[in-house]
Amino acid sequence: MLISLRAAVKWALLGIGVIVILIPFIWMITGSFRSEADLFAAPQSLWPTTWTLHGYQSIWEELPFLRLLFNTFIFAGVTTALLLLFDSMCAYALARINFRGSTVLFWLVIATLMIPFQVTLIPVFIELFHFGWLNTYQGLIVPRATSAFGIFMLRQFFLSIPRELDEAARIDGAGHFRIYWRIILPLSKPALATLAVLHFMNLWNDLLWPLIVTSSTDMRTLPAGLTLFGGQHVTDHAVLLAGATISLLPLALAFFLAQRFFVAGVATTGLK
Amino acid sequence: MRKIAPAIAATVLAALALSGCSQTPATPTGPVALSLWTGFTGGDRAAYEGIVKDFNSSHPNIQVTMDVQPWDTIAQKLPSAWATGQGPDLATPNFDSNIVAKYLDTKSLLALDDLGTGDTQINSDKLAPAAVKAFTADGKLYAVPANIATLQLYYNKALFKAAGITAPPATVDEFRADAQKLTGNGVYGLSLADHETIQMWPILQWLDGGDVVDAKGCSALGTPENIKSLTTWAGLVTSGVAPVGLTGAESDTLFSGGKAAMQLNGPWAAAGYTKAGIDLGVAAVPVGVNGPVTLGSTVPLAISAASKHPKEAQEFLAYWTGKQAQTTFALASGFPPVRTDLADDPQLTANATVTAFAAALPSARLWLPGVTGATKVDSDVYVPLIGQITRGADVASSVADATKKINAITGCKG
Amino acid sequence: MTAHHATSVAGSITAGNRGGTRRFRFQPAWLFIAPSLTIILIFIVFPIFQSFWYSLFNWRIGADVQEWLGLGNYQRLLGDELFWNALRVTLIFSIVSVAAQMVLGYLTAAALLRDTLFNKVVRSIYFFPTIVALATIGLVWRFLLDPSIGLVGGIFAAFGAEPIGWLQDPALALPTVIFVSVWKNLGFTMVILLAGLTGVPTHLYEAAKIDGANSRQLTWYVTIPSIRPTLLFTTMILTINSLQVFDLVYVMTDGGPLFATDTLVTKMFREGFTNFDIGYASAIAWVLFALIMILSALQLRLFRYRDVD
Repeated sequence: MLISLRAAVKWALLGIGVIVILIPFIWMITGSFRSEADLFAAPQSLWPTTWTLHGYQSIWEELPFLRLLFNTFIFAGVTTALLLLFDSMCAYALARINFRGSTVLFWLVIATLMIPFQVTLIPVFIELFHFGWLNTYQGLIVPRATSAFGIFMLRQFFLSIPRELDEAARIDGAGHFRIYWRIILPLSKPALATLAVLHFMNLWNDLLWPLIVTSSTDMRTLPAGLTLFGGQHVTDHAVLLAGATISLLPLALAFFLAQRFFVAGVATTGLK
Repeated sequence: MRKIAPAIAATVLAALALSGCSQTPATPTGPVALSLWTGFTGGDRAAYEGIVKDFNSSHPNIQVTMDVQPWDTIAQKLPSAWATGQGPDLATPNFDSNIVAKYLDTKSLLALDDLGTGDTQINSDKLAPAAVKAFTADGKLYAVPANIATLQLYYNKALFKAAGITAPPATVDEFRADAQKLTGNGVYGLSLADHETIQMWPILQWLDGGDVVDAKGCSALGTPENIKSLTTWAGLVTSGVAPVGLTGAESDTLFSGGKAAMQLNGPWAAAGYTKAGIDLGVAAVPVGVNGPVTLGSTVPLAISAASKHPKEAQEFLAYWTGKQAQTTFALASGFPPVRTDLADDPQLTANATVTAFAAALPSARLWLPGVTGATKVDSDVYVPLIGQITRGADVASSVADATKKINAITGCKG
Repeated sequence: MTAHHATSVAGSITAGNRGGTRRFRFQPAWLFIAPSLTIILIFIVFPIFQSFWYSLFNWRIGADVQEWLGLGNYQRLLGDELFWNALRVTLIFSIVSVAAQMVLGYLTAAALLRDTLFNKVVRSIYFFPTIVALATIGLVWRFLLDPSIGLVGGIFAAFGAEPIGWLQDPALALPTVIFVSVWKNLGFTMVILLAGLTGVPTHLYEAAKIDGANSRQLTWYVTIPSIRPTLLFTTMILTINSLQVFDLVYVMTDGGPLFATDTLVTKMFREGFTNFDIGYASAIAWVLFALIMILSALQLRLFRYRDVD
């Protein structure tokens, strides 16, 4: 029962990778329970010498925590749902429908990825002001409800789904919408799940956008609200690390649940 | 493309129609509501929130809501918000006092005219002169100081005792000698930061009679005193007396971890160092060749030119800089009060931190006051200059290069 | 064979809808693209054109009259040595981090392809860095890499080595930032490649094995061609993202030390929001845009885009 050299090397490298990845997290989570003095006195240690809950307490006491959590769920959740719908619709059109202007549209979509987000900040801010959408949920959600990344990724994925399936459905009299809804989408579960997780995560962690759109604490999301604790001169690290830990939990859960959809090959082997 | 146009037109019209749905209802008559944006995140926040709370409880007809955001966010939103006539009534646009010039360019600030000696008026003649000067343009005052901070010398008493030094250095020569003596056993004599920090290096130059930019806006780096000063201090860094390339936060960490014996820092750090268990001493910055000098920094608090309630907003500023608010604030935060007439207040004199930092006010100089392109001079020239000479670059040639760049930015006419 | 036939059948159906008439023809494609297109046009395309407009002026927010510069900002860029530095840093960052992520991402995705519980756990672990907010990552790594009190420094000290200023040394700062970037984004790349790899039909592997292919041949002749769309997509997205890197660099080094990690976007941010030079910042954005367009077109050619379509 000898393990081949190749397998051993593979597991060793994976193992090193796991350690390099986990250590900062362990530091972060244990650090959220350490007092400031402990952190500076024994920074090399991964384990607190004095335990304190003051990081978590500060967050609870000084922030409208449940409200921030709610806002973050709404922002990340609703936007992700809209994103999946709009992106997949647009990607379907680009991948399956041969319409005039599809190449132009595709390049337009790609092109929008190439402009740094910071550049459009001020014009979008002024647009939202004119719509009256500053400091509102629709202002947070609508401008982010589509993503060139999502459209591009789904288009590539849809292209790799064999067209025989479309043809079979068309012979049965299905129009575009039914093909989209009943054939393409169910077969795209891995891609959709991946996209959902990635988008939800990015939106959950998005710092700049909620700060730009909101101007009062009770419309903010959790990461934006946590910036209250990072001072220009003085920073309370336990609070920041506690905030980061709390922010991490729903995302870790979402990812673990979405793992179910990464099942190998089952979906695409349903050729007939 | 023609086929897509109608779809777009329809949706844009729909969007514009939607915009009507979220208009706020007309506010009923009641207390005047003022909005204030500040960047006072972190540990300082509580003291500023105290000012606002006290104002609101003593002024039932004016209610101020303070929204705290990171400085970067304010820097991104405020210019366009104020220039387009929206945004908050009041704000601290930046922690850098030089920012006032930029907002004056876009005519975004209200000229403060409710000045005088009364309690509900802004007593501008009683405010720290350096701040008032920085915020005055064309004879009009455009902002009040939200705070004013000075840098003093923090020192670790335990490390001093271990090195056999009985008192903190009083002159710049003692300063350098002590720093060298205290270095060793994994400890730096002096903790310095050269970027992302309140500037410490200018103080080192001022102590030796050097400077960065002179009164005419031209580079003063090339003077012999300055080159000698920079060479000496850079030498201390390269010989390991002070660390190289740290940010302000890293420099603080070094000191609070007991790995450095001295640091030039502001009043905000005292509480953290004490909590970290440092046997803390605060002393005046060692006297330089031209007398005592240190760096001062003030945050402007201004009113939008488009504010609908200029009178009430000025009343708020008057309260903020008034005697009662300043006394409470100083005691809560350790910052010196922005007023010059509270020096004898018994509550303040009893507080060691406040007294120590307030004592430095008369000799405090602002960083690049009134210099055109100050932020660019700082980020593109000064910070790299210090970074280079502390890594061993030749001081004279680096300075010559920096002089050229500074003069190009400030438009120095020689 | 069947694929071609199918495409032409599909083509002829939609061709019937198009037709050369001037009558108003309802295209089903409109409904599909309408929501995304509207949002993109209003909130992305229009602001982008506005920023191009700004770049032609010495743009001051709120000024009554803007000073026309034409291509003045762009000329100034060409003479700005910090711009060329930022360009160099950005290119190095992109090439190295994308290459590292593609290779490591593929290897980890391939190694963890089967859906065992163990694999799922390890996958989750590899994905963790992507989950955490960037500001936190920057804070944590800065602490870990602090030469005096950091964990990394402590480990080095235990081996008797001198503490290293990872983020303070101009020569080491960029590699360190690249390392943290790969650390953070490896999970993301792995996940995308996983989605692509699980979509490869197993019957292709069976057919090739029947023909006697070994594992290396399987990878090279079956797997990689099958996931070519995914590879193209991943490389392009990674390149586009890394050319625009900002948050990580801003939080860890703010472009320092001595501009060793100053990327095009950190420079743009500094010019726009610290120095209030919006016109100049917009010009930088557009130069970056042109750069990304060129590199993306090159990549599409490299991956023989037309074959995939």
